[in-house]
Amino acid sequence: MAKNIGRRVLQTLLVLFCVSLAIFILLRIVPGDAITTMMGEHADAETIARLTAEMDLDKPFYVQFWTYLKDICTGNFGTSYTLHKPVTELLAAAFPNTVKLALIAAAIAWMIGILCGVVAAVTKDGILDRLFMGFSLFGVSIPVFMVAMVLQYLIAYRLGWVSISGVEKWTGFILPAVALGWNSAGSIARLTRSTLVEVLQEDYIDTAKAKGLGRPAVIFLHALRNAMLPVITMMALQISSLLSGAVITETIFSINGIGRLAVDAITSRDIPLLQGTVLFTTVIVILGNLVADCLYTVLDPRIRKGA
Amino acid sequence: MKKRTTNVLFACALASGMAGAGMTAYAADGVLDVALNADVSTMDVMKTTADYLIPINVFDRLFEIRVLEDESTEIVNSLCADYTVSEDGLTYTFTLKEGVTFSNGEALTAEDVEYTFMHLLSPESVNADIPLELVGAQEFMDGTADAISGLTVDGDYQVSMTLSKPNAGFIAELTAPAVSIIDKTTVEAAANFGISLEETVGSGPYMVTEWVNNDHITLEKNPNYWGDPTSVEKCVIHIIPDASTQNLMYQNGELDILDLDYQDASIVSSTYKTQYADKIVSRNRLALTYMSMNANDEYLSDPQVRRAVQMAVDREAILQAVYSGDGHLENGIIPTGVVGHNDNATEIVYDPEGAKQVLADAGYSEGQVTFEMALDSTASSNLQMVYQIVQQQLAAVGINAEIKTYDESSWLATRKSGEMASFLGTWTMDYNDPANIMYTFFGSAENCVLRSVNYKDADIIARVAAASSIIDDEERYAEYQALEEKIIHEDYQWLPLYALSHFYAISDEVAHYEPHWAGYSDFYLRDVTMN
Repeated sequence: MAKNIGRRVLQTLLVLFCVSLAIFILLRIVPGDAITTMMGEHADAETIARLTAEMDLDKPFYVQFWTYLKDICTGNFGTSYTLHKPVTELLAAAFPNTVKLALIAAAIAWMIGILCGVVAAVTKDGILDRLFMGFSLFGVSIPVFMVAMVLQYLIAYRLGWVSISGVEKWTGFILPAVALGWNSAGSIARLTRSTLVEVLQEDYIDTAKAKGLGRPAVIFLHALRNAMLPVITMMALQISSLLSGAVITETIFSINGIGRLAVDAITSRDIPLLQGTVLFTTVIVILGNLVADCLYTVLDPRIRKGA
Repeated sequence: MKKRTTNVLFACALASGMAGAGMTAYAADGVLDVALNADVSTMDVMKTTADYLIPINVFDRLFEIRVLEDESTEIVNSLCADYTVSEDGLTYTFTLKEGVTFSNGEALTAEDVEYTFMHLLSPESVNADIPLELVGAQEFMDGTADAISGLTVDGDYQVSMTLSKPNAGFIAELTAPAVSIIDKTTVEAAANFGISLEETVGSGPYMVTEWVNNDHITLEKNPNYWGDPTSVEKCVIHIIPDASTQNLMYQNGELDILDLDYQDASIVSSTYKTQYADKIVSRNRLALTYMSMNANDEYLSDPQVRRAVQMAVDREAILQAVYSGDGHLENGIIPTGVVGHNDNATEIVYDPEGAKQVLADAGYSEGQVTFEMALDSTASSNLQMVYQIVQQQLAAVGINAEIKTYDESSWLATRKSGEMASFLGTWTMDYNDPANIMYTFFGSAENCVLRSVNYKDADIIARVAAASSIIDDEERYAEYQALEEKIIHEDYQWLPLYALSHFYAISDEVAHYEPHWAGYSDFYLRDVTMN
């Protein structure tokens, strides 16, 4: 067990190092730099040269990278070139919004997705199956920005039930979460249906029925539990992705989240801020996968027993 | 029951749809709500050349620019009560107004003016160009001097500045947001000036009371303001990056002033100029949109090709098609409204047949001339449309202009390298003096590279650099006009396009709104009257 944990921690550190190095290299390959972007129309050669030296951007690549590594080992993620604030402070301000948005979106997506998938599977080839699968195809196909704009227009502007933008009140999260979860719900519904249909054809399901168990018990206690393994994998990937930021939704609904922060960092070549957001989201993705692995062991005794 | 609920929902949606778009009658809350599409990066103007919201509303300068009834502008005293200039045009002595305080109650004195200039000469400054004109400023910046020798303080209210060479536009420069006067005591002791609200202490009509990154900034009336108090008690600047969200918020009564620059021109024409016609406020921008042509490009290095480009682009058609004619054509470098603008500049005439003839006479076959037009990916939909129209108009005379899209940072870096063949850009004046635009683009060989224009005439570049030292205004303006005539109409180096009007829509809560004199998108909130 300890060996496994140790191996996992080492793998994580290696991934973080590689990601960090890749960003450092990539941002030096592509044209553009933070100072030129920061000065925009007012750029002049002398100021660019002075600021480049002032910010140590004239130092060799490996020196900058080594300094950065040393700093993050002491918990210093640097100061954003463009926003002039500590990266940790900017991440701390944006992450709560991203978490709330992701969790509400995931809850909506999973509830709707699993329910639709189960109903579609147990009414296979029936009207409800076709209806829900058509609906889920709609969910998978329609771009997030379109759902967001339609919801914003109809629910917020026309009906006035929630605010058009901003998340000062918790109700502000509803529309963005629905817009964000819409797509995920479609994917979950389709996967739940296909795996549940397969499981329902297994012999042990017939055995359960033969024992005299009711249909709900067979579906929810025997079939759904086994059908959920691939669905959980997808859910883990979805939650990691949602927690990494949802740029379009955050932009349309004016939410200060990780996604907007990362895109701003890329467009302005703000290396410390980009490093911070990427390392942060990498950790989130790794944790998401870890949680999925743990859930596997809970749900599947074969994995738990090392079979 | 389920069916009934669905029907009720549908009916609600339909009813609200039939009500048509219109501003909801929100209760007047006395708070002015406006929206910016991006957050400010810092409240310290020393570190920004773009975010002027805080400097123009929270801080003051020695001089300001006032818009007159005929929309012309004049420089007026602000913190400065009076000033004199030495005969050689080198030394300016300013007497400050007495009784002016910062929002924390501290008196504003000559030491604050001195400290402002010293602060602007910090190593991390992006706005050092104006202070660097002072004698001894470079030495101070380099750390070889403890003070700026050309800046002396005499008592609490007198400060003298000596320039290293005469600059007739120096007073105009002192109206720029970059030279906003800061509080020495606060900033010297500050740990996070530019970020911390407590340390953002200005003498202007507003104070910053809240700043939530990427969400909103709140300004409240400065109780210690020395001038006429604003009628706005509180202003919330929402950060709304999406233009359609801003549009809905305004129509829902959630915004009191909407900057229509962010909106698609077709929406402005079809919705705002019809349904909200009585709510529109406009300002003629002191700005110039131009097409830059790089003298190092394979084809654009030939003046005859640049001349053909000038003749091939139908600027009036672009103005009408994309902006519904909301602007005016420009024929020189110095835009209308800027002192020294030449009303009688040679007109650039649209003549596609003439353009073909020029190319043929220069020995080019049809389709031979090819160059790239670089487009910044963050450009507005309106500007993207202009690129496409220019491309089509050039194609009509046999010139292939390939539009290539770059992300903003790459676009700026490529332009800075001097290798961008062609692009469309807009320059908005920082202060009302021709030097601001002439020197920036044609005042030095380095500037010509940074702007990817690579203008070759060293004599003209030297004359542009020297023009600001001509003390007599008429003589100086004549020199600038002669220079722009040479650059535009003899060397065909640039294609001036137009200056656009800047429109805003105001809500029922706003009785009067006077936008910034130059048409900045940073909200100028000093002249707003609430109902």
